[in-house]
Amino acid sequence: MSCPKDKITLEFNGKPVTARPGDTVASALYRSGQRIFTRSFKYHRRRGLLCLAGKCPNCLMNVDGAPNVRTCITLVRAGMRVTHQNASPSLENDWLSVVQHFDRLMPVGWYYKTMTDPRVWHTAEPFVRKIAGLGTPPSPDAVSGNYEHAYRHSDVAIIGGGPAGLKAAISEAENGRQVTLVDDQPELGGHLRYTKIAEAALPELVAKVQTLPNMQVLNGSYCFGLYEGNLLGIVQPRRDPDDAERLIHLRAGRVVVATGAYESPLLFPNNDLVGVMLSTGVLRLIHLHGIIPGKVAVVIGQSPLVEPVVADLREAGLQIAATVAPKSVVRAIGKKYVTRIETRDARHACDLVVMCGHRIPDAGLLHQAGARLEWNAGKGAFIPTDLPAHVSAVGQVTGESLSAAATLPPVLDPASKRAFVCLCSDVSSQDLANAIDEGFDHIETLKRYTTTTMGPCQGRMCQLPAIGVCARQTNHSMAETGVTTGRPPNPGVTLGALAGARHHPTRRTPMHYEHEAAGAAWLDMGEWKRSRYYQSPMGASEKQCVEQEYRAVRERVGLIDVSTLGKLDLKGRDVGRLLDHVYAGRFSDLRPGRTRYGVICDEAGIMLDDGTVSRLADDHFFVTTTTGNLDFVLQWMNWWLVGTNWDVYITNLTSGLAAVNLAGPNAREVLKPLTDCDLSTAAFPYMACRVAQVAGAEAILMRIGFVGETGWEIHFPAESGPDVWKAVMEAGRKFDIKPFGIEAQRLLRLEKRHIIVGVDSDALTNPFEAGMGWVPKLDKEDFIGRSALARLATQPPKQKLACFIMNEADLPEDGAAIMIGGQLAGRVTSARFSPGQGKAIGLAWVPAETAREGAEVQVRVRGRVARARITEKAFYDPDGARLRM
Amino acid sequence: MSFLVQCPQCGHRSVYEFRFGGEVKQRPAPNASEAEWTNYVYTKANEAGVQKEWWFHRSGCRQWFQAVRNTVTNEVQESFFPGDTT
Ligand code: FES
Ligand SMILES: [Zn+2]
Repeated sequence: MSCPKDKITLEFNGKPVTARPGDTVASALYRSGQRIFTRSFKYHRRRGLLCLAGKCPNCLMNVDGAPNVRTCITLVRAGMRVTHQNASPSLENDWLSVVQHFDRLMPVGWYYKTMTDPRVWHTAEPFVRKIAGLGTPPSPDAVSGNYEHAYRHSDVAIIGGGPAGLKAAISEAENGRQVTLVDDQPELGGHLRYTKIAEAALPELVAKVQTLPNMQVLNGSYCFGLYEGNLLGIVQPRRDPDDAERLIHLRAGRVVVATGAYESPLLFPNNDLVGVMLSTGVLRLIHLHGIIPGKVAVVIGQSPLVEPVVADLREAGLQIAATVAPKSVVRAIGKKYVTRIETRDARHACDLVVMCGHRIPDAGLLHQAGARLEWNAGKGAFIPTDLPAHVSAVGQVTGESLSAAATLPPVLDPASKRAFVCLCSDVSSQDLANAIDEGFDHIETLKRYTTTTMGPCQGRMCQLPAIGVCARQTNHSMAETGVTTGRPPNPGVTLGALAGARHHPTRRTPMHYEHEAAGAAWLDMGEWKRSRYYQSPMGASEKQCVEQEYRAVRERVGLIDVSTLGKLDLKGRDVGRLLDHVYAGRFSDLRPGRTRYGVICDEAGIMLDDGTVSRLADDHFFVTTTTGNLDFVLQWMNWWLVGTNWDVYITNLTSGLAAVNLAGPNAREVLKPLTDCDLSTAAFPYMACRVAQVAGAEAILMRIGFVGETGWEIHFPAESGPDVWKAVMEAGRKFDIKPFGIEAQRLLRLEKRHIIVGVDSDALTNPFEAGMGWVPKLDKEDFIGRSALARLATQPPKQKLACFIMNEADLPEDGAAIMIGGQLAGRVTSARFSPGQGKAIGLAWVPAETAREGAEVQVRVRGRVARARITEKAFYDPDGARLRM
Repeated sequence: MSFLVQCPQCGHRSVYEFRFGGEVKQRPAPNASEAEWTNYVYTKANEAGVQKEWWFHRSGCRQWFQAVRNTVTNEVQESFFPGDTT
């Protein structure tokens, strides 16, 4: 794919950089002369490329606005904008690097030791916040690109596209299984891409994989978690700016982990200097990018790791100044870049130090899934054992063909302030030794106290050296010291990928666009859009608009869309029996053509939902639920039906029906010309129901009165929604009808003391305290909650829901405190300004003895205490005469 | 939590498709003692091991069923519609 004539231009810190196709951001920058890629977290030390494999913290930069991108595994793209992080003014000159000269002042556990006084933290916080951390998160309103989730299944998932993974994938696919192969590098091949191994034939393996039809290859994608049920979390980064970053949920019958082994640094003073690199990093630069990163190299390593590396470097034209054993290294020397290696008996000048580091089986996924990691001294590694069912491992991750890079625990005294164990947080071997002296001598507490293994590399570079230092300082073996627990996600995942696409489903009622045309101000109720109120073209305030809607209902006629109510059609011989069992009231004796209010309680007697039950025929009922509780009520009824063999068929008609409530003194006159149904009180009394035509649609009409006026709740097919709405509005024109929204409805019902379950009641409210002691029919032999309600009926409630009226118009907020004699005694659940009363009214929980006519309480109104009086009766039409007119 | 639940109708599906309905318990008789009712309403066995549970296939067939699950390993051993005699 690489055609050397092609040139790609990206931008680094505002200046153009030329790259070749196949370059990563890091290789392109390196070729252009960049050597310092990052500044370290705490001391702001210079850091250069180390692993070239996406495993260390040394190459993190901001790419196209995304912080902390591993540039060594991010392929270049024309027009990419790359900027450095955590250095000011530049990577070359970073004023915060003075911090390292004051390292005495910042001992291990500095935060815990210094920030013990809240006042100190208060003063230090703004400064600490400013200098801590690496990248800068994108601003919340920045366009953050596309994210999406994808769900996939396969018989076998192979994680890792090196030789072992490729071979496993081919053999599984040839056995007829659906295979998904995941690899985090830009191209398949693993270590075969940059090392010479005689037996391997990489091009053939890759070609084979690409031709197998039952093989899906996700390259350049990383797997961050292996969860129970073999669910794999995989991130597929965006290929170009228009692409989406994709989180793939892959469910696999079996998982084969072929993640190989990666290299991690050796421990000696100044092991973090720019120019000190891992051998695999150097070989990647040479063989993948054609870059020879120096002229004179010192190779640190032991047999048998060191020989092939030396041969390879020589062949590439590097001069090898010396090959030294890890245990003889005293320190690396250099100001900006490494210039010498000092051993116990010599100094070697060089411009590159190549570490043949520890080989770490990349067993994170296996460890997460429950495998044990067992120390093997010969291999110098923790080897995964006891793999969970349906998970296996192949290749170097199993410890195959690994050998130790240096003695562990280290034999020499490793304590040095400049021998960095943890590159992410600048934790030296001296820091670890100090922490252990302070008592953090278990690997898990040592980790948390020093934050070693908790940075961007997630322990890849530092875990083994940290265990080595811990073992040595505590006189334990490596096996006794053990590893810290591995948890997902590893590597880290962008929050955008986890959050996914921002799809919020929206439900619109059939009359949505009528409301929109009428100027609706919307209220989100779960997924539903409802009209809060209708804005006036004259620019009146919300309060004025609501009052006009309120007056229309009280004085003339109003129309509200109640299509969001849950609507259930129940048919069968045993529906009455089911309703008697599930509701606290009685419904088996309800006569056809009648409607009754119903409350559902749980077995503890707590109110769960309320609504209406209408009997349309002997074996046919129509039930409404509150907007938010439909799913619950439906599942609840179905649950109680399981195993009963009762003759009940429940159909959820919520989306199939539209519904309106037409209410007000003129409601009958408005409806009359639209229906052949006799609407007179004699023929259609309060709490009756009928099936009839309304404006040409087959409708269920119920004469009920949530808002306290003569009115009908009308349910009709959703597709007739706009027609019926328009017909009613047209018929109401001569009565100056107004559509009204939720705000007016809540005010109207509050004047009638009609409670809203879930607003005025909570998860502990029973009907007796809510003033609805008449609801439970305790003479029914059995129903849900009967036992608890029978007991509650005999115990006087401690608190009660009561109406209150204030002496003023100022409103307490919902939840405001009720005080008696200066003591907290209850809380407000709903409060509105009542135009009828000219004052603020509301519902509140008060002590039972206070819930009597005329009792005085105080209400907290935004910090001030105001007087209120309890009333026992509804504020409006307490006897319900208007409902029956 | 990402285990699979076996719906007797739909087969193995992600646990996120289901609503958990709690331990299967015997509802006391209407005239049972207060202690029995209190026990039924408030006490959970909270077994660390195998227990019988209610599940509802919310994003599937929308049926309630019972499943025998090991709460330690999240392995669902069997599931069935109560009353099914097959
Ligand atoms: S150099 Fe890029 S992650 Fe190590
Ligand atoms: Zn199902």
